[in-house]
Amino acid sequence: MRDVVRDPAALERLRVQRSRLADRMRPPWWYPTGTAIVWAMVFAGPFSSRYLPQGDFWAIVAAAVAVASLLQWGLVRATGVKVCLRNRPARIAALVVIIAAIVTESLLIERGLLVAAIVVAAFGVVAEVVVQQAALREFREVMRGGGATA
Amino acid sequence: MTAKPDPLIHPITRLSICGLLAAGAEWVEFAALRDAAGISDSVLSKQSRVLEDAGYVQVRKGAVGRRPRTWFRLTAEGRHAVEDHLAWLAQLEEAVSARARDVLHAEPLRGDRDEPRRVPSH
Repeated sequence: MRDVVRDPAALERLRVQRSRLADRMRPPWWYPTGTAIVWAMVFAGPFSSRYLPQGDFWAIVAAAVAVASLLQWGLVRATGVKVCLRNRPARIAALVVIIAAIVTESLLIERGLLVAAIVVAAFGVVAEVVVQQAALREFREVMRGGGATA
Repeated sequence: MTAKPDPLIHPITRLSICGLLAAGAEWVEFAALRDAAGISDSVLSKQSRVLEDAGYVQVRKGAVGRRPRTWFRLTAEGRHAVEDHLAWLAQLEEAVSARARDVLHAEPLRGDRDEPRRVPSH
């Protein structure tokens, strides 16, 4: 069997292979779409808690969790790679967007500014999808570089 | 050199498998690993078994419908060995390129610099 000392291109080949594996982590078209739907359900929370009966609100929460789990399962199946995104800045950014958007929406709904609340919710959805895509992109770059063993 | 080579990871195929598993993913599926490494099913099966027997790789078998699915991941011991081996390889690569640089920038031998090139007389 060949070994790396006799093949000087071995490390370069490993870099190419890692790059190939990272390319598999590119999410399919339905993933960002599904993610947007999940976030739309989350940001619909202030509306549903105000305008829908309590039971319907929890039904929406359960549906959002189910769709998110399904998306994660589908992504792992489609890419063949299971990852745990430990990107702290992305997590913090996602949390800040959730809190800021939901608080703003609630305030706007209380004052009867429904259109403005819908616009805030839409911005929230876009921001969350962008943050998630950025986290995945950064993970691919880390993978190309060799992760912890670069 | 401080890092040490690992004879088990030294062959190129096993280095590819371990290097890919160490790239940051938690679990990698058989087909994804095979395609990324550019090896055949049988080679991956054989080499992964060697790594599994050594305790470097953990294998999880499952099925989606009727299709069997095999997943791999590095164990803590395997990760440590790969990190060490890749560090050794990086040092080796650095040493080789440093030597190449030295040869390129080496001072010409005394007497060589201004000596006219000899043209063979016919």
